[in-house]
Amino acid sequence: MNHTRPFMKNRYLVGGPITPLLISELMTLGNDDTGAGAVSIFIGKVRGDEIEGKRVTAIEYSAYEEMAVREADGIVNTVRSAFSDVRSVLILHSMGVVRAGEASLFIMVTAGRRDQASRACRHTLEMVKEKLPIWKKELF
Amino acid sequence: MGGLVRVLFFGAAAEAAGRTEESFTAQDTAALRRQLTEKYPALAGIPFRMALNKTLLKEESVLKINDIIAVLPPFQGG
Repeated sequence: MNHTRPFMKNRYLVGGPITPLLISELMTLGNDDTGAGAVSIFIGKVRGDEIEGKRVTAIEYSAYEEMAVREADGIVNTVRSAFSDVRSVLILHSMGVVRAGEASLFIMVTAGRRDQASRACRHTLEMVKEKLPIWKKELF
Repeated sequence: MGGLVRVLFFGAAAEAAGRTEESFTAQDTAALRRQLTEKYPALAGIPFRMALNKTLLKEESVLKINDIIAVLPPFQGG
């Protein structure tokens, strides 16, 4: 199924939408870590908002890619040191065009138990929104 | 000292400048900021921050030749 293989620009940015197939593949990562009893996932999707009477059909994402990698590395390290039970942190954001209804952000945190998995996932999400140099342009 | 620095424009800043990259000569980031908004008045309407060599600036900084400055509008990821 090479034709469905996503174009990974680096370990945090992928060209186009984050497809259900990619999500299912990502969810198998860390299956060999049998100490991880909790997996918390956040999926962000493109909304078909109405702006000045026009419906958004897609969003085109762009980034300062080199800085995004550096910042995302920092987020992963910060989350791992703030939550001692966390075992892995995965961040993936779309670049380019993503249509309304499709996913553009995937965050997955594994931990020994549910409390830190859930809180660390939310914390990662807030840091992604605050720190990653990513911009969007609405397409109508 | 100051010097020739490479300026990268992103998001709405790229649209305001009509380009994604340009060279400027400036002593420091404060002087560069003034040059940028004088040359591209539309930039003044964007609350942009700047990164120096991929690190977000927290205060103004002296510039050296070949430094890379990025003009960063408010982030919109997610």
